[in-house]
Amino acid sequence: MLSLDEMENLLPEMALVAGIVLAILVPNLGNATLRLPLTRVRIPLFIGGTRFTATSDPRLPARISIVAFSVAFFFSFFGIEGASGEIGGVIEVSSFSRMMSFVFYGALLLAAVATTYRMPARRGARAPRDKDSESRVEALVAALMDNRRQVDFHLLLMMVGLGMSLMAMASNLFFMFVAIELASLAAYVLVAFHKEEAVGGEAGAKYFIVGSVASATGIYGMSLVYLWAGDLDFDALAASWAAMDGLDPFAVIGVGLMLVAFGFKVSAAPFHLAAPDAYAGASSPVAGVLATASKAMGFVALFRVLIEVTMPAEGEALWFCIVAILAVITMTWGNLAALTSENPKRMLAYSSVAHAGYMLAALAAIGSGLGDSATTELVLVAVVFHLTILVLFKLGAFLVLGLLETEGRSHRLEDLHGLARRDPQLAGSMFIFMLALAGVPPLSGFLSKLLMINGIVNISAGTGSTSADAIVPWAETVDPVFWLAIAIVLNSALSLFYYLRLCLVMFFEEPEEAKPLRRARHLRRTILVLAVLTVFFGIGSGAEFLLDLVETAVSAM
Amino acid sequence: MGEHKQEWDRLLYIVPFLAIVPYLYSTGASSTDYWWLIIAAPLVFFATIAIAGQIWNGDETWVNRLKEGGILGLGALSVSLSAAVWLIYDYLEHHGHIETGDPFSWLTFDVLTYNGEGWSVASTGFSGIGFGIYLDAVSIMLLFVATFLCFLICWFAIGYMTTDSINDNSNHRFFAEFVLFSMGMFGMVLADNFLWLFIFWEIMGLCSYLLIGFYYWKPSAAYAAKKAFLTTRVGDVFLMIGLLMLYDIYGSLDFAVVFDDPSTGVGGALVDAGQLQTALLMLFIGAVGKSAQFPLHVWLPDAMEGPTPVSALIHAATMVNAGLYLVARMVPFVDVGHHGVAGMEELGLIVAWIGGITAFMAAAIAFVQNDIKKVLAYSTMSQLAYIFTGLGAALWLFNNGKHHAGALVFGGALFHLFNHAMAKGMLFMASGSVIHEVHHAHDHLSHDGDGSDHDHGSHHDFDPQDMRNMGGLASKLPITATAMMFGSMSIIGIPLIGGFWSKEIIVGKTWYAYFHGADALLGPALLILATAGMTGFYMSRMWFMTFAGEPKNELVDHVHEATPWIKTPLVLLSVITALGGFGLALFGMVDWLSGEYDHLALHKATFLDQVIYELEHAFLPEDMQLRYVGWTTIALSFILGPIMAARVYGGALKEGEQATGLVHWLTSLSGKFGSQNVDELANSQLAEALQQRLYFDDLYEGILARTIVPFANFAAWFDANVVDGVIKQIESNSVLGSVQIRRVTTGSARDYILMAAVGALSIFALIWGVSA
Repeated sequence: MLSLDEMENLLPEMALVAGIVLAILVPNLGNATLRLPLTRVRIPLFIGGTRFTATSDPRLPARISIVAFSVAFFFSFFGIEGASGEIGGVIEVSSFSRMMSFVFYGALLLAAVATTYRMPARRGARAPRDKDSESRVEALVAALMDNRRQVDFHLLLMMVGLGMSLMAMASNLFFMFVAIELASLAAYVLVAFHKEEAVGGEAGAKYFIVGSVASATGIYGMSLVYLWAGDLDFDALAASWAAMDGLDPFAVIGVGLMLVAFGFKVSAAPFHLAAPDAYAGASSPVAGVLATASKAMGFVALFRVLIEVTMPAEGEALWFCIVAILAVITMTWGNLAALTSENPKRMLAYSSVAHAGYMLAALAAIGSGLGDSATTELVLVAVVFHLTILVLFKLGAFLVLGLLETEGRSHRLEDLHGLARRDPQLAGSMFIFMLALAGVPPLSGFLSKLLMINGIVNISAGTGSTSADAIVPWAETVDPVFWLAIAIVLNSALSLFYYLRLCLVMFFEEPEEAKPLRRARHLRRTILVLAVLTVFFGIGSGAEFLLDLVETAVSAM
Repeated sequence: MGEHKQEWDRLLYIVPFLAIVPYLYSTGASSTDYWWLIIAAPLVFFATIAIAGQIWNGDETWVNRLKEGGILGLGALSVSLSAAVWLIYDYLEHHGHIETGDPFSWLTFDVLTYNGEGWSVASTGFSGIGFGIYLDAVSIMLLFVATFLCFLICWFAIGYMTTDSINDNSNHRFFAEFVLFSMGMFGMVLADNFLWLFIFWEIMGLCSYLLIGFYYWKPSAAYAAKKAFLTTRVGDVFLMIGLLMLYDIYGSLDFAVVFDDPSTGVGGALVDAGQLQTALLMLFIGAVGKSAQFPLHVWLPDAMEGPTPVSALIHAATMVNAGLYLVARMVPFVDVGHHGVAGMEELGLIVAWIGGITAFMAAAIAFVQNDIKKVLAYSTMSQLAYIFTGLGAALWLFNNGKHHAGALVFGGALFHLFNHAMAKGMLFMASGSVIHEVHHAHDHLSHDGDGSDHDHGSHHDFDPQDMRNMGGLASKLPITATAMMFGSMSIIGIPLIGGFWSKEIIVGKTWYAYFHGADALLGPALLILATAGMTGFYMSRMWFMTFAGEPKNELVDHVHEATPWIKTPLVLLSVITALGGFGLALFGMVDWLSGEYDHLALHKATFLDQVIYELEHAFLPEDMQLRYVGWTTIALSFILGPIMAARVYGGALKEGEQATGLVHWLTSLSGKFGSQNVDELANSQLAEALQQRLYFDDLYEGILARTIVPFANFAAWFDANVVDGVIKQIESNSVLGSVQIRRVTTGSARDYILMAAVGALSIFALIWGVSA
């Protein structure tokens, strides 16, 4: 049994567990009774029978999950400062893990809010009757369908949250894998959730198959590591790694295999191929979660394995070269593929591949071992900051698409034509999100990119011959890390093409259909808040506040 | 145009804006914590108006209630004005000793520096992009001029712009650019750093370009905009070079750092006078471009293609003062009494000569202009040149240790800036009023009864700005005529009115500098003395041609003052122009501006003593030489110029026409002198040369056609074929690559796993390679 202190440390997760239990129980509460045999006494069972009016409301699961996520979100936020504690030898609550769960819960909360519009629950939906017209029947069936699966969806969403958060807190490789699987399996189902659409089921199946292969690879790698070290605790692994004489094949192959598994999670090339299909097939809020929270989860895993375990005290890490090459391939591949994407969701998927590349480049810079602890921390701050604010503008962009999706459109670039005329507020927000993704000042996307590039350049500072004043000899001798920064800059320039193309069609093309969009009050407000925060965290005190927070988290890692 | 309704209820919309600063004041906040409102308000509303206009163009509320954004712009400028007034009040209250607070900084980051052996993270040095404010009497005065006139002219523009159907649905563009310009001006005045000054300077340049070209479909407007932008650009390039040189010398562009001790540069090295002088001359060339001085003056007359409020604000009252402000900021460098660098006399002399030449030349060209706005444009040029001459004399005096005299003429020159900005802003608005009403009278006549839409083609043969179509308007436009009269008097320097107080000091002290060793200043001193008389002539000529005498066109009978938006600022500024000069002179404005006094107040025991002291000072200075100079100036400008003008262009109003009391005496007086035939003079070669603006435009065009244009053609070819070619190649290659790379995404999970396997194997190959 957990002690009181431990419970306090796990409040956000408690809230989610409570949410899950309530989401299972509450919609089933009814007036069923059990008659004691041979008597007339009836004992109320509450489960089953005719459901009470309050508990039969189809909107109830969404409310439960929103409340649970909000509670978890705020407790995570307040836990960032000064959270610490160890539970059961496998969970370690720290500022860092709280920061990450803050990000996860934030993203999932937004997805839960958006889903109330994407998959609306309708009170009093009735079964179709004989005299109803065909289209009417279809609509009624769809409404009933949506009502039926409310519980399923939000249950899965909460499981994703629980898995991710536990994963961030894991201090043991095995436990981390279990948590990742909890989150991933729920996510696979969420991708395939709209199974009546062919594309959804296909996307989910593909994502599941490729994901399972990746997981299997990772678990195989983990077992090799266990064979080598006899322990899966991160601290023990780090100690074994540091004490290793030469390179042990078990350890090296194990780490390499895990790299493949986590590469899939962060959608690094060439393990990213299922991601665009999955994003395009999933509903927009879910795709947004995959692009932000799920990616952040992959990066946390990479931090654990690459930086905590296998980073030598000094000198280049074994994986420096691999991650650097992966990073460059990933960002270039992502940007190039996005260039001709005609489907906005696919485009955003490729853009998130490119962003993974940027962050991998930052990670690789740490692996070069040239930086001191301060610059390393600077780069980590940049990456975590980027993961945090991605929730604002990447997920924000997906939410805008989600709103379009409610009228069945978001799969073609044409669906965004003339959005500025149909809905200036939405188009304006989308414009901000796109600029932030491209990294245009003064938006927060610029700040994070600047910090990453600044960190990489700082790390490479001091290398390169300056005996001659010419550029060429300097360029020949500078550490390869420097070129990672150049790669990011060039790729950012390339990415402007497709981000701005989307803006272009929003503002300068005639809309195909002039009717205004759905009102969706809460979703609109959410999008507006995200747009404002995108600006707010990019400049002035807002940026300072968030950076301070991230620094606290990173220094606890 | 229909009847002009009273539209005062529109002003209710700006009440919430006006309430912001009083609210902040009531909370006990300090004005120095809220200076950013001055800049932020227009910046925010620039975006708001531009976007809202795109969305709501043609919407009933937007057009009639919000005046296509004009009311929003007015609201934003009222925030700026009230915040500025608050700041100025605090500044005066504390006698200039107020803390301006920490500069706002956007982000701070490490910078790599090259230390001779390698690159490393700089421990100090550039730590971020900060913006703070620098307050002294000069910037306080300019801040007031800028915020006050921006507000009033925006008010005027609401009446001027929204009643003309040619502007329909593009006024939001006007107002958005207008407030963006205001932001640039406020920022430039407040900036505590030459770099920010330059940035805002360029923002103003951009807005000037956009607003001159407001009627971009007219070739003449498009040409004028381009000309203004390119001409000032010449100066800006030099300005940038000058700033880089300053940075090289001082290692910083912060006023606080540079002005702290201009005689020692970065690392405590002594500053070389020659180097510094070159840098300052570069800055001065920038100022020459911005303030339209010889030889970069050619853009200003053409800039009158812009709407009249733009001429009033940008090309008369605010932006053209930026150059003067920059020169005024040079004083700490040359003031040898306060750490200045000795041996830079040439700087002052060059500034004064440029000023003298421009003053004379512009006044001469103004003699023959028939376009009412062109006359004012040349007059602006000429008056700015006065100020430059005064500043030049001040720089010379400072550099020769004559601190007191230098401070006096420095203060006088800046006081003239104030007087001129107020008077000229108003004159342009008054001319706008004339043009607006003549134009509408013309429309009224030519479209009477047919009710058809405007046919803009019909305006080609009629120019509402040509003074030869006017005359006798004094009785039709009483408020405008009065405003124009006071404005002209201030510019001419009629004793006791407005500009008199400052012009006397400039002329007098320039001569003083000549008498005390600056032999080279004789030229500018003579030129500006002559210009004083010429100013009297051309300003009077403009007034008489417009308002006095027989109407020269039948449509004058249909002119009437109608739009209430236009009248209010005219009345307000008339009062300021008429009384402001004397009033502020009494309160020691000149000495306050030059930093001799730290507050504005009466410095004699009683009001009467002060009045007598000032009058004595102005008319009977103790120095006999200066007394003669002063009297000559007065005689030339007050007597000779106006009387000559009246003899040539004067004339009484028609029988039965009656002008208002304030200007009645002037029309009847001019009738006494009568008209004279001046055809001979007008046909002379000199007049022709003046008509052609002394052939400067032709000269420049000729030079450009031989030098820049071939190079530009080459650059265009290079751009189209090489630069664009490369970009297009990159783009098409990227697209090709994109198509190729997306082929890998087959959609089959089997292939995905295959790729992942390939990736995994590559990883192992790499690991093997690294560890082997």
